Amino acid sequence: MNTGLQVRNLSVSVPTTSGQRLAVDNISFDLPKGKSIALVGESGSGKSLTAYALMRLLRAPVQIEGGEVVLNGELISNLTPQEFRKIRGGKIGMVYQDPMSALNPLMKIGKQIVESILAHSDIEKNAAKKRAIQLLQEVGIPAAEDSFNAYPFEFSGGMLQRVVIAMALSGNPEILIADEATTALDVTTQSRVLNLISQLAYDRGLSVLLITHDLGVAAQFADELVVMYAGKIVEYGEIRGIFSKPLHPYTQALLESRCDYTIDFTKPINTILGQPPKPENRTSGCAFAPRCKFKEDICESNDPRLESVLHRSVACLRVNEINALSGRE
Amino acid sequence: MILVFLALRVLPGDPVLAKYGASAGATPENLDALREEAGLNRPLIVQLFSWLGGIAVGNFGNSYFSQLPVSQLIWERLPVTIELTFLIVLLSCFIALFSTFLSVRKPGKKIDRFLENLTSLGLAIPNFIVGIILVITFSLIWGILPSRGYVPISENLFENLKLMILPTFTGAIVATPYLNKYLRTSMLELQAAPFVRTAEGKGLSHSNILYRHIFPNALVPTLTMLGLIVGYTLGGVLVIEYMFGLPGIGSLAIESAATRDYAILQGVSILIMTLFLLTTLLFDLACGLVDPRIKSNK
Amino acid sequence: MTTSTKKKGNVRVLTRISSIALFFILFAFIFAKFVSPYDPTELAVAPPFSSPSWAHFFGTDELGRDSFSRSLYGGRITVLISILAATVALFLGTIWGFAAGIFKGWLDEVLMRTADAMMAIPALLFALVCISGLGASFVSLTLVAGILLSPSTARMARSALLVEISTDYFTAGIASGLSRWKLIWNEVMPNVASQLLVQFSINAASAVMLEAALSFIGLGVQPPSASLGTLILQGYAKIYNSYWYVLFPSLLVVLIILLFNAIAENMRISMESDKSSS
Repeated sequence: MNTGLQVRNLSVSVPTTSGQRLAVDNISFDLPKGKSIALVGESGSGKSLTAYALMRLLRAPVQIEGGEVVLNGELISNLTPQEFRKIRGGKIGMVYQDPMSALNPLMKIGKQIVESILAHSDIEKNAAKKRAIQLLQEVGIPAAEDSFNAYPFEFSGGMLQRVVIAMALSGNPEILIADEATTALDVTTQSRVLNLISQLAYDRGLSVLLITHDLGVAAQFADELVVMYAGKIVEYGEIRGIFSKPLHPYTQALLESRCDYTIDFTKPINTILGQPPKPENRTSGCAFAPRCKFKEDICESNDPRLESVLHRSVACLRVNEINALSGRE
Repeated sequence: MILVFLALRVLPGDPVLAKYGASAGATPENLDALREEAGLNRPLIVQLFSWLGGIAVGNFGNSYFSQLPVSQLIWERLPVTIELTFLIVLLSCFIALFSTFLSVRKPGKKIDRFLENLTSLGLAIPNFIVGIILVITFSLIWGILPSRGYVPISENLFENLKLMILPTFTGAIVATPYLNKYLRTSMLELQAAPFVRTAEGKGLSHSNILYRHIFPNALVPTLTMLGLIVGYTLGGVLVIEYMFGLPGIGSLAIESAATRDYAILQGVSILIMTLFLLTTLLFDLACGLVDPRIKSNK
Repeated sequence: MTTSTKKKGNVRVLTRISSIALFFILFAFIFAKFVSPYDPTELAVAPPFSSPSWAHFFGTDELGRDSFSRSLYGGRITVLISILAATVALFLGTIWGFAAGIFKGWLDEVLMRTADAMMAIPALLFALVCISGLGASFVSLTLVAGILLSPSTARMARSALLVEISTDYFTAGIASGLSRWKLIWNEVMPNVASQLLVQFSINAASAVMLEAALSFIGLGVQPPSASLGTLILQGYAKIYNSYWYVLFPSLLVVLIILLFNAIAENMRISMESDKSSS
């Protein structure tokens, strides 16, 4: 495959009370051109770290421990910092969780967008300004010309997130990473922003990596789903398939614990008891085992690997038994 | 602001109280007569109010000894102090900016730690000792700069500046560490701010981020601090003027304190504190200019 | 983990060195009579303004007195004043801060406003005015310096007190019927004490600066007795004759301030690492 993003064996370590431990453990996935992937997991699953690792925005002592990232057939994980700057914003753009803190409070938003444009193309200032205003219009900011000169604090959360999106797109990237981009917004605004991203991705042929803990968001938006737990991928595949028939116990539990307007309030709401293990507490064996209702001895002694089942990848030692599969699928 | 005003009220009380023990070096009858004339025998409160009232009109009363109006004395000597304070603040800002940028580009490395140690040292040395060392080095050993004296700008700008060099550096060396420490901490803290990460995510260069994103944000709280520093410099110029023979209101304060000329002393003190207040206000306003969020709230 | 214990070890060593150095110097000051090679008032033990030599470590002054001996006696006065002033500040400030913290309400407001007001005035100016009114003497200097330093001590004492009062053990103590005062005396004080000690050291350093400055402008210790500040003043007057005269007391003052600061800083660091590991 010569297009899109390929991530291979990415690992990220974080400092803990017992030294550096892996918080992202050897994950691999593909982001084909024009497709969108939702990366879901609980807090602490390592999903945000993955995103930052791809952008090389990690700061010591958090560091990348290994892995390769290939973009359009070229290895980008071994570029020098100088060279990588072109990738950031230029090939991969990022949208952040809290728009209010993601922007420089003292700089007009127009200027912040222009800054990004100028960093990635050779046009001159006035043309950049025009481009910026165009972008603002594209993301649905009213009165784009006036808004160009406004400061971040003058906008509401939803509007500001649109500005951040505009800024992320200003370098004309091929890939957009959205790190919990809608978490800080209310539900209606969430929906609008997601639709916006969807539309923009379609118009521009972007690939989108959406990081979220919200399955509903994932369902609304993505083509493929990557489920992460304790730094590892536990299930990965086409999203509709996973939703209709989840194979990994964790995915199953996640889907069972969703609430929507059809749930029966007379019964207790399904939750997954317990907590994910912290990086320093991870031992051999399946990380989910302590909370898994299908746990057997083998789960604690052997590490599960991603195996191909039903056209997707699942990392569960008992996947076939649990799902009454014949093993040939 | 109210607080300083409170302090202003405490101040006149002190020398007034102490006056009763002051000796003007004369016979008891003369003393009494003097006191009567200066209105010292009236009840304290009355004195206080009449004096405050006088100030409002710009009349500080007359010096006990020379009988010249205090306001005239102050007026003559004020420009010197203003010039000195201004130069000190200017130089301090300059040095602090320069050294902070050097420091912050490579935090934790040799140059940063060296400057940090220098800063700690600077905080511990009294300003007059800095002055002494400078005088010894530049006036005595190397003989390239004068150590005393003053020439008004109107007479000779070059001489004026030459005579101001050592006093300015003395004051600046003492004020810079505070600025430095504060600015550096602000900027380092900001390195971890989310919007800095966004800027990196845009692919901007490190120095670009430093100058155009981090620094302006660090500037706002530093401006407030700068106001305070100017205020304290106003206190420090007292000694600097004294040792370098500059005829400003600082040395006036010292002279009047030594001779117990309370009229002058009161006047000068009030003035200095008012200047302090004004500067703090000024810098607060400046904050509003730099930070659009504050502006809109007004 | 290992790095912080190592750092603490370094800090301990530094504190020890600074403390030893300080004690050494204090010792020399207190026992100046025995340590000093000459009688500081003895005139013409050597030609005036002589440079440092083995016989006269600091050289001599304009009357031929040995500078080193004069510095020792002067140092004694300076350090005495500053430690006494720091003590005054400690008592005054603690009572001030505790009163505000314990009684709260409008008393707290008034006390703290006053503290802020006092802290807003340039220290030297305030001291100048007070000394001018009270006359310059050992006692007045100590009192004025102590009073000047108490507002910041008060603030510190108050916040330390408030922190302790809000802890669980304090609330538990009250709940089990113990008297507030007993609790404060027995439980709160020891915890606050270490912070107060740090403040004491910082105050001592500030007091040295203040005293030196005041003496330097002639409003400090008056001749014939001389503190280091007075010595600096006299030396500065004769600076064209010999700069050694003015240099040594100056360096000594800086050294003392640095040592007080170092002790305070290192005490603070080891206190913090104690807190985080416990």
